[in-house]
Amino acid sequence: MTRPALRLSLVVLASALAFAPPFLSAVQAAPPVADNPDASEPQAAPATLLIHAKIHVGDGTVIDDGSVLIEDGKIAKVQPGTLGAADAPGATVVDLGGKTLTPGLIAADTALGLVEIGLEDSTHDEARQDESPIRASYDPGPAVNADSSLIAVQAIEGITTAAVAPRGGLISGSVAWIDLLPNDHRRIVAERSVAVVANGGRAVQGSRAATLAELRRAFEDAQWLRENERNFDRGAARELAGHPADLEALWPVLDDEVPLVVRANRASDLLALVELAGELGVELTILGAAEGWKVKEELAAAKVHVVVQPTRNLPGSLDGLGSRMDNAALLQAAGVTVALAVFDTHNVRNLTQEAGIAVANGLDAKAALSAVTLNVAKAYGLDDDYGTIAVGKVASVVVWDGEDPFEFSTWAEQVYVRGEALDMRSRQTQLRERYRELDGFAP
Amino acid sequence: MKVALLACLASGALACDKPTQTEVPDGTGETAGDAESPPPAPTEGAAILLRGGTVLTATGQTFAPGAVLIRGADIAAVGPADAVEVPEDAEVIELDASAVITPGIIDTHSHMGVYASPGFRAHGDGNEVASPVTPYVRAEEGFWPQDPQINHAIAGGVTVAQILPGSANLIGGRTFTVKLRPNSRSAEDMRFAAAPAGLKMACGENPKRVYGEKGGPTTRMGNVAGYRKAFQEAVEYQRSWDSYERALAMWETESDRRPRPSRSSEDGEGGGGGGRREYREQPQPPPRDFGMDTLVGVLDGDILVHMHCYRADEMSLMLELAASFGFSIRSFHHAVEAYKIADRLAAAETSVSIWADWWGFKAEAYDGVRENAALFTQAGGRAIIHSDSAEGIQRLNQEAAKAMFAGRKAGIEVTPEQALEWITINAAWALGVDDVTGSLEPGKDADVVVWSGDPFSVYTRAQVVFVDGELVYEREGETGRPRSDFDLGLRDDLQEAP
Repeated sequence: MTRPALRLSLVVLASALAFAPPFLSAVQAAPPVADNPDASEPQAAPATLLIHAKIHVGDGTVIDDGSVLIEDGKIAKVQPGTLGAADAPGATVVDLGGKTLTPGLIAADTALGLVEIGLEDSTHDEARQDESPIRASYDPGPAVNADSSLIAVQAIEGITTAAVAPRGGLISGSVAWIDLLPNDHRRIVAERSVAVVANGGRAVQGSRAATLAELRRAFEDAQWLRENERNFDRGAARELAGHPADLEALWPVLDDEVPLVVRANRASDLLALVELAGELGVELTILGAAEGWKVKEELAAAKVHVVVQPTRNLPGSLDGLGSRMDNAALLQAAGVTVALAVFDTHNVRNLTQEAGIAVANGLDAKAALSAVTLNVAKAYGLDDDYGTIAVGKVASVVVWDGEDPFEFSTWAEQVYVRGEALDMRSRQTQLRERYRELDGFAP
Repeated sequence: MKVALLACLASGALACDKPTQTEVPDGTGETAGDAESPPPAPTEGAAILLRGGTVLTATGQTFAPGAVLIRGADIAAVGPADAVEVPEDAEVIELDASAVITPGIIDTHSHMGVYASPGFRAHGDGNEVASPVTPYVRAEEGFWPQDPQINHAIAGGVTVAQILPGSANLIGGRTFTVKLRPNSRSAEDMRFAAAPAGLKMACGENPKRVYGEKGGPTTRMGNVAGYRKAFQEAVEYQRSWDSYERALAMWETESDRRPRPSRSSEDGEGGGGGGRREYREQPQPPPRDFGMDTLVGVLDGDILVHMHCYRADEMSLMLELAASFGFSIRSFHHAVEAYKIADRLAAAETSVSIWADWWGFKAEAYDGVRENAALFTQAGGRAIIHSDSAEGIQRLNQEAAKAMFAGRKAGIEVTPEQALEWITINAAWALGVDDVTGSLEPGKDADVVVWSGDPFSVYTRAQVVFVDGELVYEREGETGRPRSDFDLGLRDDLQEAP
């Protein structure tokens, strides 16, 4: 017979059909943070000392048995070995018994806090309805809803931080950076206007060439406006691409204070954006980048940050003809700083699955962890404060109940956001508990 | 570490371990579902023996190391590696100990081919938005076999899928169950001939949203009134046919007793009662209505109902409505709130085809929980993990894994065997094909996947896929991933890409 010989190359796993590894010693319950609705000032979380942690710092280094001291919501100490009570007077000591500790995962390009139910318009705040496609001054920060059920659903699975970005138009608005502190209206927004977000492809005027031209014009007009404010005030302005407030909102990008973040997928768009960013002298992050691997050399040379969703491997549109699951690995190998994302606000908690799939398709496991922590922070220019377990950074960390946070058998056991031990419940866990036994209901 | 394994092309099993036993457990002892005894094991066709690794049969059995013997299009034997006889003509494939062999994955909910990639307007062939009740359309007749999604699904270990019309309509049309055979030139080439017809119905938001400004239904009340009206019409349609058939039978009986009446003899002798006169002319059949034929098929139990329905209260009402017409609902699809009425659904023997974690994209999906499948299984129900997604269909094993581990974390015991049933034999039952596929048993179709490891690990991938004994996918090897016509010249770079 002529059937070709089968060649099987099988990945050897630690154990076939492995169950979750036996639990290590249970984490001592951290004391619940006092609920104090009357307080007008946010209460500082108590100091926490985590000991006997296997610390994945987030930059590729691992401390096999280390300690992390959290004070005032920041990481105060990180070091190998065991810190004692003397090193942290008054701190709650939690012995992790060798469990894995990682930085909190960071979700890129979400609408967390801006949307509750997909098809219900009345629950949406992520887009400014506007005839003008230049909406850079739209700042969703004040609209972020800490009471959204989505916040806890993601947070208790290890997503501690998110970029909250508006949608629509050509330039959708500015990006807010949030700490996923459920129900904490005072503190959920960590920083506003950390980036300006725009849409590539055929965002406006029915043409991708027009979209790119309009994007360029917006920045050029923003520059002109700054140089000619007096003329503008006298009414001697030329016709501008957008409202002056929306052009002014681009100044921080032109000043290289915040990155320009653009959603785009086709290789030709990516090259055009790299060129435009180079000419304008702005820092560029690309979201999506389905065909990033085709132009990886240019992306690497221009030091563009790229955020991809590994599972996207279908030609959903012609912009994504080149979609493939090893995009992240190919980009990383070419020297691009790659971050991973789930472009679906309700389930950004599946970031661990995306990371695992990226690893299964060639991305190094340590690089994958960086890609869901440090590199997301870099993509938004927030890596001074977020993304690794390092002294001075925001203390958003996750204790996992298994060795490998990307495996389905592993769950976040305790999540700390800005130093606060979260109540590990969500609306979904409450629903589950209500219907766990059906005996109490009518048959 | 990767270990390349050469196929052991046995002539007289020269280079291979000689089996020591010839008796093979047939694995039928603990069959899940209500499969009838599978047909006898095949004796003709080329033989391929997959040996080594762990065999998960989806009948509750595990063989480690195990072996699966394929003969022609069917499974000939399944059992411990040293107990499956190696026929002299068999091509023997030795697997790494970490490999896992399972039945092909079955998706009860796919729109591949009717909502093809790319998502061109021209590719929207899944919803006949002409009327909320369109039982006369068939997904098979909108199916494009060159959809590039199909080959990616094969690479995810999927061998059988039910292609459904969309959920715009109360009654959307007939479903189309396919075997994922590459290089099919038309829908018939992928048709799973043994599968009974299915009917797609939809509850809730979608029909009332789509038809809210097109004459209704505009409410859930209108939805249910629409199903009731349609099935009542079917009852009456059936009645008209029954009455025609009775009349025909009587006419035929009378014809047998006397010469066929002719017009000239109409006033002849013995002009009896009016009834007799009625049958002098052959009764004419009522007009044929293909949509009504489909609904009558449902009432007769020949066509299986697959109903898109999210909310517990709606599913409960639908059970009542179906019972009032004497039919059953084979599977509620999406069933995000199945856990709230798992007891009622289990009692009605209605399965649920659900996601591991989708939620919140619409109001009726707001109460999704990760433990839906685990809770439903715990209540004795038949759960199925489905995709409804060209991306999700590529990793139904992972979706099942998420649902299994979520259950365990909440203290609900779920075994890997049960999780495997969610994506194989339970799905086969919902499609009415559990007697021919969905588990590894002698006599069943050789729809088989070899995984690189534990199918419930995020790092595991399908290595080799067989459909009806044909090698259709090989992750590393000459066969590779099949390519559709669409891929040629447009996705050439991706031939080797995941």
